[in-house]
Amino acid sequence: MFSKILIANRGEIAVRVIRACKEMNIRTVAVYSEADRNSLHVRLADEAICIGGPKAEQSYLNIPAIISAAEITDVDGIHPGYGFLSQNAHFAEICDSCNITFIGPSAQSIRLMGDKIAAKDLMRKSGIPIIPGSMAAVKDKDDALKTARRIGYPIIVKASAGGGGRGMRVCHNDVRLLSALMTCQAEAQASFGSSDVFVEKYLEEPRHIEFQILADKSGHTIHLGERDCTIQRRHQKLIEEAPSPAVDAKLRRKMGELAVRAAKAANYSSVGTVEFLLNKDGTFYFIEMNTRIQVEHPVTEMVTGLDLIREQIRVGAGEPLGRKQDDISMDGWAIECRINAEDPSNGFTPSPGRIVAYHEPGGRGVRVDSYVFAGYEVPPYYDSLLAKLITTGATREEAIRVMQRALDEFFIEPLRTTIPLHKQIFSDPTFQRGQISTDYIDRKLQLGENE
Amino acid sequence: MEKRLKASEREAFRLIEEMLQLMESRGLVELEMEQQGLRIRLKKATSSPTPHVVEYVAGTPQAIAPSGAKPTPGAGEEGHQVVIKSPMVGSFYRAPAPDAPPFVEVGQDLEVGQVVCIVEAMKLMNEIKSEVAGRITEILVENGAPVEFSQPLFVVEPPS
Repeated sequence: MFSKILIANRGEIAVRVIRACKEMNIRTVAVYSEADRNSLHVRLADEAICIGGPKAEQSYLNIPAIISAAEITDVDGIHPGYGFLSQNAHFAEICDSCNITFIGPSAQSIRLMGDKIAAKDLMRKSGIPIIPGSMAAVKDKDDALKTARRIGYPIIVKASAGGGGRGMRVCHNDVRLLSALMTCQAEAQASFGSSDVFVEKYLEEPRHIEFQILADKSGHTIHLGERDCTIQRRHQKLIEEAPSPAVDAKLRRKMGELAVRAAKAANYSSVGTVEFLLNKDGTFYFIEMNTRIQVEHPVTEMVTGLDLIREQIRVGAGEPLGRKQDDISMDGWAIECRINAEDPSNGFTPSPGRIVAYHEPGGRGVRVDSYVFAGYEVPPYYDSLLAKLITTGATREEAIRVMQRALDEFFIEPLRTTIPLHKQIFSDPTFQRGQISTDYIDRKLQLGENE
Repeated sequence: MEKRLKASEREAFRLIEEMLQLMESRGLVELEMEQQGLRIRLKKATSSPTPHVVEYVAGTPQAIAPSGAKPTPGAGEEGHQVVIKSPMVGSFYRAPAPDAPPFVEVGQDLEVGQVVCIVEAMKLMNEIKSEVAGRITEILVENGAPVEFSQPLFVVEPPS
């Protein structure tokens, strides 16, 4: 087992990992940028090293600085969290060469699943349904047009090295496709360093269903059920729940088996997530696999009773899984709301600044994963996630009622947050009935603007 | 009540200690040092030899100790020190090799661009060059010790 872990991240996930380490008696090292001197993860860790200036490239993406910090504090493991270097195969390789365990899958798995085109190809060969589309990067305009006509509009243009909802454009006709090609390629080059894009059939009103995978280094792989992440704004998740109202036991078994097969095909170890799009008619397609712990992991924890970060650290240290698929059950319902420092009434403009009054909801059925506090200055350099509010209940209705009550108790003043939007969503009968698809938010916001 | 100092507080207290030593050894009346988010100013009350902490700024202002007698207006400042900070994380070495003489010593005059030390990161020896000219009055880190980004390494008195 590790004796000391460096957390190569910040914000709420850094706090989350430090919590798990403390409970396992593993010492912790926080790294921080100059903008994060007063951040919670710095206060909670046993040691803290300043690694650079405020911008991510100077600090949290600065591999030499992080490895250097790991060396001078003599850690035996690095936990990359999510975002930043968590899906950077090069970073994983450097950790290996410095004899520090990268707590995640192998560099090869990261590389394979990070190449969306290669991942789709692997899935196809493993008998996992994939979305009709181009099987290689689009060569040129004519290639794109031919593929689009073959699979039929609407289609989506996606960056091959992309993720997190960026570098994608939906197109309903040839004209749109041609302009989308150019913008996506430019965006892809800027954000991910590769201008490779591919074309896929765009499913209308699908649900986003993802399966949590847990595997040890000997290849024992299980799934921990699904999460429904259909409520998204511009492909960024806003609300997640486990289980999904659209998945019954039979479908869960079927999709779960395919998710495990996908992970095994990639020789996967550690935690990961296999994402599908589920159609109204019950057909589903693999979209991608995320080779990291995800923001929304708490809802899986609440219904399965597992500590996912603990399990990730355990298998990362080489321990056996110790669990079979039959040992996993989903009990009750959990929903998570992402509380972002954004103003939903003003185009979601970021709203960093000093928090003057802060009160977290509490009581039965409430869990808050946060890193902010009264007096804290939210820096403008990083993502806007302040806290995750998770509620549980025996049924979905109960979890919703607890969430409505909890949202009323949450103050993060004077910042603008997504709390008012969540309150609106949870009181919407359509959401309460569970009849949603991935365009729910965008349509709802448009309606709001037109009122 | 047990209070375990966290890294940011440890750093602040270490900085204050160093500043106090500096003021005493150089006979300074006032010394201010700033790193992003953290600014500390020590002002000596001329009626007593002990400096008092005036302000601790690290996001949320807190007084650490009550300010003592007000300093006499017009009290002179001796020197305006500049701090050379580490531009990276790593191990601090005073010499290019274990048996070689150090790059610089206390009391030595520096030129802009002169190599003052090495910070070793990932087996790479990075030569750190001074951005200021002046005389080295203090070396704040021991040979071989770990340093973090923007950690103070040398105190330099610019030419008057």
